[in-house]
Amino acid sequence: MAKLDKKDLKKGWLWWQFWAMSTLSYEKLEANGFAHSMIPVAEKLYGKGTKEYAKCLERHSVFYNTEPQTGSIVNGIVASLEEKRSEGEEISDDMIHSVKSSLMGPIAGIGDSLVQGILIPILLSIAMSISASGNPLGVVFYIVCYLAIILSVSYWLYLKGYKLGLSAADLLVGENSNRLKKAFSILGTMVVGGLAASFVYLNTVIEFANESAGTTFNVQATLDSFFPGLLGLLSVLLCYYLINKKGWKSNKVLIFLIVLAAVGVLLGIF
Amino acid sequence: MNFTLLIQACLIGLFAYLGGIQTPWIAGISGGYYVLGRPLVAGLICGIIMGDVAQGVILGVAVQAAFIANVSTGGSTNSEIVYAAYGGIGLGLVSGASTGVAVSLSVLCGSLGLILYNLIMVENSYWNAGSAKAAAKGDEKGMWMTHIVGAQVCHFVIRAIPIAIAVYFGQDFVNLVLNNVPQQVIHIMDVLGGLLPALGVALLMNLLISEKLNFVYFMAGFIFYVFISNSMIALAVVACLVTVLVYTASGNSGAKVAEVAYDDDDDGVI
Repeated sequence: MAKLDKKDLKKGWLWWQFWAMSTLSYEKLEANGFAHSMIPVAEKLYGKGTKEYAKCLERHSVFYNTEPQTGSIVNGIVASLEEKRSEGEEISDDMIHSVKSSLMGPIAGIGDSLVQGILIPILLSIAMSISASGNPLGVVFYIVCYLAIILSVSYWLYLKGYKLGLSAADLLVGENSNRLKKAFSILGTMVVGGLAASFVYLNTVIEFANESAGTTFNVQATLDSFFPGLLGLLSVLLCYYLINKKGWKSNKVLIFLIVLAAVGVLLGIF
Repeated sequence: MNFTLLIQACLIGLFAYLGGIQTPWIAGISGGYYVLGRPLVAGLICGIIMGDVAQGVILGVAVQAAFIANVSTGGSTNSEIVYAAYGGIGLGLVSGASTGVAVSLSVLCGSLGLILYNLIMVENSYWNAGSAKAAAKGDEKGMWMTHIVGAQVCHFVIRAIPIAIAVYFGQDFVNLVLNNVPQQVIHIMDVLGGLLPALGVALLMNLLISEKLNFVYFMAGFIFYVFISNSMIALAVVACLVTVLVYTASGNSGAKVAEVAYDDDDDGVI
């Protein structure tokens, strides 16, 4: 029976990378994306037009959902399982289904928090600080860094998944990766602190006239002299409190901020 | 009929489609949703199309700050970031709006876009069924026609056309509104433009801060940026250092106490 060579694996990964989300829907999410990415693998292993080929594509057309870029590891694992199956090893449909459905959740969890929660905000924060006055260089920095990092990680994970089979899952959901995620969340949290300092701004226009001296006491200037960005920080902390402690949904906080801005301006505070 | 504007509006609509979460053409979501779909990148692209790169990037940074924590998990999201990016920045550029107004416009476009996004997520069930049917027959041509061609034609219509129309006809509308609302409303939008990133930052914190202790790192990042260096790159480097220290320390429970103490020193010295 045919074995997957380097070219097939590259194709398997590329097809997943490209077509994974094409028919993302609430009903089946990435089901057909997974099936589509199996076309080159199934073609090599079972041969086009055979019964096994159709069965393989059908097998992978079921509900599936994970973070696709880090989730490439599951596609690698499944490719190796399909290869063993085509060689006659006893690997049932149920086993393949349970591998996919037991891995997709944990990998989506860690993938989403690493990609959307840490990597992207960090790169964006740096890019935004470079581009703040209209310099396009920061944007270019983001595009190049993000694509270089995510595409190489995604391809590497696919190959690892294929090589190590089931034990590859430890790379993402094991003890060590948990430690790594915790450490990275510190990196993310610190950068988010800087992000708050650089992009949240709220200034008060309150002034007190000191008539005897003929001067005005400017509240914002005084605040800036000992703690720049204090009002911005307070508004972040307030939002965090409302979301984390009060359990407000983000849309509710959005409306709250609109009201806050409107009332503040009308009362002559901001 | 203004031909230049028509072409510009169509181009912005095209990129609004290319940045969609289901659009596969640029390495799937890596080059599409996570690159072209980011408001920062949309700012550069709209700037190039409209012939004002610096202003485009400035609006891109402002809108990005408000949407810094837009996360999409399991296909659901609280605001459609791609409609927000191209609608808000495109309209902001054609009407010469300030950053605060552009951010408010993009929040509006994001909420309206969410309706269209949900339409795509429901409409895709049709293509899911078609692709699964073709897969069961081993008919990969049928899979291409449903999973890729059919679905993408629909997405193009739902994403590109509304944005192109909004940018083409929006100029007069936005100008009319901006010229007729009281100055205070514009001022409220500007205040809101600085306040909305607080929500984004708070959502990110909610995602990242799993233990109370991590709150310290947020404050450290904020303080570092405000009092020590207005450089995101410097902050990122220091944050990396702290991350490495904590990661190393967490591996060896015996050395944990000593390393954490050293860690605190570190913040003070720098």
